[in-house]
Amino acid sequence: MASVVGGIGASHAPSMEHIYDAGDEVRRSDEWEPLFGPFEEVAKWLEELKPDRLVVIYNDHMDEFFLNAYPTFALGVADTYPVADEGFGARPFPPLPGDAKLGWHIARSLVADEFDITICQELEVDHGVISPLPMVDFSEGESGWKIPIVPLAVNVILHPLPSPLRCWKLGQALRRAILSYPEDLRVVVVGTGGLSHQLTGPQFGRVTPDWDQEFMRLLSEEPEALTEYKYEDLIKLGGTESVEVVNWLAMRGALPRDARPIVNAYYAHRIMGYGLQTFAVNER
Amino acid sequence: MELTRHPELPPDYLARLEAVQPKNLPPELDLFDEQTATRGMRLNKAAYSLKDARQRKLFARDEEAWMDQFGLTDQEKGLMRRRDWIGLWRHGMSIYVMVKLSGVTNTALPEIGKQMRESGGSDG
Repeated sequence: MASVVGGIGASHAPSMEHIYDAGDEVRRSDEWEPLFGPFEEVAKWLEELKPDRLVVIYNDHMDEFFLNAYPTFALGVADTYPVADEGFGARPFPPLPGDAKLGWHIARSLVADEFDITICQELEVDHGVISPLPMVDFSEGESGWKIPIVPLAVNVILHPLPSPLRCWKLGQALRRAILSYPEDLRVVVVGTGGLSHQLTGPQFGRVTPDWDQEFMRLLSEEPEALTEYKYEDLIKLGGTESVEVVNWLAMRGALPRDARPIVNAYYAHRIMGYGLQTFAVNER
Repeated sequence: MELTRHPELPPDYLARLEAVQPKNLPPELDLFDEQTATRGMRLNKAAYSLKDARQRKLFARDEEAWMDQFGLTDQEKGLMRRRDWIGLWRHGMSIYVMVKLSGVTNTALPEIGKQMRESGGSDG
């Protein structure tokens, strides 16, 4: 049987891609070490944990889905996920390995649990997945991607959005899906996005570190409290685009209540509050 | 829009429905919702097309021909020609497709941000 062996919450941003792609010297600069150092820690943790699969809860930025038909929840059921061209040419990464069989099982389980997701046999992933992922799961010049993924996209772009409570429940349903899978797979659930950022209007660039750190504390200690927040609250606290944090909440919903934070890193820089949090799970 | 308090609705129904559409936001915190998405559909389609390298080539070669594909209004075309990012935003262009325009127009995000910040106090 499959099990959930850990969780990761991580920001995603094009800036993280630019810095990663610029190479080691830039990554280790005084400016960016506070972002990349903790990711290295997480990569090591993941290497020791040896998960077989990552379920990545993220949001697309109109790179796969468009406004002609925008899915509220969309699940990948493919064996491979190409990297999307976001308007500048795709980053030179090989397609990410998937697990169609696990994807289909999760699709059936979620539907049985009344989460009627859009089922995607083809899906190109954008920086919602591949800005944090290379930092924890990619060997440069070696085998490339190591851990197959199952991507699960949440609409955080076109209102009405699924409520924070709904996203939490989605995570809980995802947990049941994983626990009911017959193969012995160790799964880490990842939630990407946020934290505070405002990319539109006169408050462009506003970052709110106090709220970001309170969000991370709540996620760890009182995740249910976050389900009471409304989008109106989240937008005022962290900015219009910060509502991506519901992806973290869904991730937390897939973990047991007593999951413990191992890495707790936060770096407010330029126009982003970058957060990184990993959760260890007591294996039973 | 005043919602109907029908007796069949559960007690918390309207509260849940209202929470889905944040509406007590200060005007500088925008939402991409019914109004914005409806207003911006043509502009968003245009900018979204730039995911395709052929569209980027056409944009570089003949911006007017590129625009003609999407039935943009004269006003929308004007905003595009002037690189009026704040105007495009007010006309419903999503920031996520605006970023795709930043590539073909060689406009860094901080430049868009500068315009956004300077837009404070204007009537929109």
